[in-house]
Amino acid sequence: MISFYFGRLMEIFPFFLKGLWMTSKIAFISLVTCTLIGFILGIFRSSDSTILKRLVGVYVAFVRGTPFVVQIFIVFFILPEWGIQLEAFTAALLAMAIMGSAFICEIVAGGINSIPKGQWEAATSSGLNGIQKLRLVIIPQAMKVILPPLVGQYVLLIKDTSVVSVIGIMELTRVGWVTVVRIPEGLMVFTLVGFLYFIISYPLILLSNYLEKRMAA
Amino acid sequence: MIEFKNVNKWFDKLHVLNDINLKIPKGEVLVICGPSGSGKSTLIRCINRLEKIQQGQIIVNDIPVHDKSTNLTKLRAEIGFVFQQFHLYPHMTVLQNVMLAPVNVKKLAKAKAEKIALEKLEQVGLTEKSAAYPAQLSGGQQQRVAIARGLVMSPEIMLFDEPTSALDPEMIGEVLDVMVNLVSEGMTMCVVTHEMGFAKKVADRVLFMDEGKIVEIGNPTDFFDNPQTDRAAEFISKILTH
Amino acid sequence: MLVDFNFRVILEYLPLFLTGLRSTFLIAVVSIILALITGIIACSCRISGIKIIKYPAIAYIEIIRSTPLLVQIYFLYFGLPTLGLRIPEIQTGILALMLNSGAYIAEIIRAGINSVDEGQIEAGVSSGLNYVQRMRLIILPQALGVTVPPLLGQNIVLVKDSALLSLISVMELTRCGQTMTSERFMPAEAFLTVAFFYMCIYFCLKALADWSQRKLIFREAY
Ligand SMILES: Nc1ncnc2c1ncn2[C@@H]1O[C@H](COP(=O)(O)OP(=O)(O)O)[C@@H](O)[C@H]1O
Ligand SMILES: [Mg+2]
Repeated sequence: MISFYFGRLMEIFPFFLKGLWMTSKIAFISLVTCTLIGFILGIFRSSDSTILKRLVGVYVAFVRGTPFVVQIFIVFFILPEWGIQLEAFTAALLAMAIMGSAFICEIVAGGINSIPKGQWEAATSSGLNGIQKLRLVIIPQAMKVILPPLVGQYVLLIKDTSVVSVIGIMELTRVGWVTVVRIPEGLMVFTLVGFLYFIISYPLILLSNYLEKRMAA
Repeated sequence: MIEFKNVNKWFDKLHVLNDINLKIPKGEVLVICGPSGSGKSTLIRCINRLEKIQQGQIIVNDIPVHDKSTNLTKLRAEIGFVFQQFHLYPHMTVLQNVMLAPVNVKKLAKAKAEKIALEKLEQVGLTEKSAAYPAQLSGGQQQRVAIARGLVMSPEIMLFDEPTSALDPEMIGEVLDVMVNLVSEGMTMCVVTHEMGFAKKVADRVLFMDEGKIVEIGNPTDFFDNPQTDRAAEFISKILTH
Repeated sequence: MLVDFNFRVILEYLPLFLTGLRSTFLIAVVSIILALITGIIACSCRISGIKIIKYPAIAYIEIIRSTPLLVQIYFLYFGLPTLGLRIPEIQTGILALMLNSGAYIAEIIRAGINSVDEGQIEAGVSSGLNYVQRMRLIILPQALGVTVPPLLGQNIVLVKDSALLSLISVMELTRCGQTMTSERFMPAEAFLTVAFFYMCIYFCLKALADWSQRKLIFREAY
């Protein structure tokens, strides 16, 4: 019985690899865009401008206050109603970008705010402009605070890609869902799916732990 | 030259600078003293616009510092600032700390900037530490690096905010020596300090502040031996017994 | 865009949303209590020196943390029946939330215990306090300060995570939005209303977490 299904599962294993590829693709693109947007928003959030701070704050509160699956539905169902046509893949990436950059923004802002005021003042006195101050003095120091939770956030984002399966993207979780309908071995199918996620995220968890220890030292 | 014209500044309700009028001619060494919280730091921080003022004008070498149109980069290149807590960049070596402004503000080539930075490090006696990180230096050495960093843009004016207050007593001398050397080169200097020896030796004038006002200003011998106000007399007796 | 936003339909569906809100709330409360128990047990095993309970606890925590919640939900939803276990979706969902949050809570508690400085214990010993007094008067109050705010944060996460139960047709808040969308095809009204309710829960929990953060964190004076 088990071996029969196990054989079937091995037959369709390439299908899982395709799902893994899709998951990796979405994860990779999202991590890059989220990091870029997250850093920019984080800089805004830690800036002196009250308006920028508030605006980013509202955005962050909305993202942190609602479930990701609801955000996906909003992007996927509502934007077309407002005349913005999106393919499922684009909608998934957009939802990931919106969600992930809000979380990364908070991490970045926390890191920047952890740098003592004296560093800003010293850089100001040397005549550096705003961008130079951030690039040369503040961010390099803040990275120590930012990096461990950032990698931790990457793990969360990779896992969150599973939720985009709800709009029909054929990534790993969706592959499992489709398979389990034909091969009624839930434990086996989703153990395999879970194992494939484990392969991607566990090294990052270890990296995050390592960074945390190293940066604390 | 630095000129304060009717300068007023508030932190919320606190009137931290109260109608300041002051002229500091080129080449003068002005020592500023006064009780803690009297506004000394705020006074010199306004000169390179680390703090904004609400009323009046500050003019540095004919540039109105607090005008919107003022080119702050150019202004700050003419003013070196040394902080009580050094504020060296911990992620950079000593040499990188000193080279940062010439490379990024003046856009000098690396080699040229390095040459100038090494000259300044030599001036403060720390050439051999150029590859070290700030955390590897003593407080006195860190403050000397901070002075070199302030000098590297060849400023006409140097501002010091209690440069020796965070130092262990045995390190104060090495920092003051560097500053005395600067005086002999004719640098215009404003120094917030309670080091009376330094003030008596090199200051052209001593300014005594209290509650945001200039209470007394005059040459050091007059000020220390014969203060005009009770508050100054009381303050001097306190730092003497200290 | 928002000009033809249909408030009447929302009003019509309001009773449905309120039942959804109630079950989201119930699911969250039950799950967090169970997760707390799971977390305490898992953490105790994790920090105990006994290998046969320590390593299973580590495996549990790491497996949960490195796989998506949705996969865990499907694992139970499709997997339990193959073991002959047929339980209602809502119980499957609560089980998944419990196991998932339990692993994170175990790590939060462990961090809290590790955060109490060795010197504090020594100071307690020097003052002549016995073990129970040290625990009660020194270690627990400090560990609690480090543990409670992230625990409340985990609460917020759990409420949002419970939205995934809609995918195994548990009738909670998000599922109500899906129902309304399929019946009336008004996704904007449906999901923005759902989002609004989640925001309300979020702000309440966030206020609580921030308050506890201010109240409970003790920092050593410098
Ligand atoms: N950024 C600030 N915001 C509010 N009050 C400040 C700030 N900086 C300084 N002050 C207040 O202004 C007064 C003068 O400060 P400061 O110039 O640092 O005094 P001093 O250097 O003479 O000790 C003090 O009462 C201080 O508390
Ligand atoms: Mg001061």
